[in-house]
Amino acid sequence: MEDEQSFSDISGGRLSLQRRYYTQSCREFCLNCPRLSLRSLTAVTCTVWLVAYGLFALCENSMILSSAIFITLIGLLGYLHFVKIDQETLLIIDSLGIQMTSSYASGKESTTFIEMGKVKDIVINEAIYMQKVIYYLCILLKDPLEPQEISQVVPVFQTYSVGDLAS
Amino acid sequence: MVENSPSPLPERAIYGFVLFLSSQFGFILYLVWAFVPESWLHSLGLTYWPQKYWAVALPVYLLITVAIGYVLLFGVNMANTSPLDSLHTITDSYAKKQQQKKHQKEAIPALRDVPINEVNKMFFFPAKAQHTQH
Repeated sequence: MEDEQSFSDISGGRLSLQRRYYTQSCREFCLNCPRLSLRSLTAVTCTVWLVAYGLFALCENSMILSSAIFITLIGLLGYLHFVKIDQETLLIIDSLGIQMTSSYASGKESTTFIEMGKVKDIVINEAIYMQKVIYYLCILLKDPLEPQEISQVVPVFQTYSVGDLAS
Repeated sequence: MVENSPSPLPERAIYGFVLFLSSQFGFILYLVWAFVPESWLHSLGLTYWPQKYWAVALPVYLLITVAIGYVLLFGVNMANTSPLDSLHTITDSYAKKQQQKKHQKEAIPALRDVPINEVNKMFFFPAKAQHTQH
């Protein structure tokens, strides 16, 4: 059965969370992040091109204009492929493990699987990020040889969201 | 055992007066060096003093250092902030080595660093937390 809720994240974009219960011991959570907005894309492109035109007006070298176009194109492709996350899913299977998938705007998907023996706990941790304190969900991992010590902290969703119910 | 207190003492009065005299002397010397023309200083026999350029340059250098210091301090703070996946946001070496004191009846529990999973249970599962004490 499925359940959907929508929230708004730190910078005001809309996030939607879908919860799917497959069986008693298998659950999936999908977080859909806000798409790349046309407004921010045009703003960045306009500033880069205006700066390039200003430099061209100073030095009369037309290579600046063509290199600005290349930089914008390659920068956009790189951003879509490496940075912009479209959807993140968390699949929890009891006694087997936890799988996290992030799919990027260019279609790339990266998956991480953590076996249940390594998972110590799931907590909501608060930490300083830039100039704010944010709350984020993270999985604490333990080394099976030293079960009392926390060996690693894995944040779950990379688009840092604050759980305000928007709808 | 000597206590450290900020009250006035005879030694402190002497230190203060020496500091006052030397700072006034240093200031008058700086003004003399900056304003008195070279020819007068040479005629007095003082020929090996630094260039007057430095009388203006050094205060400017000092002020720019102070201004950059503000920006630098902010940057160093941001660079030293632990990333979100670091263990330093959860615990540190002092919290791992703390001693567990025995719980006494009817007394306030001793101060200790509570592990993050207990804190989470208390905040987000208040009904269950009443069953898990210590």
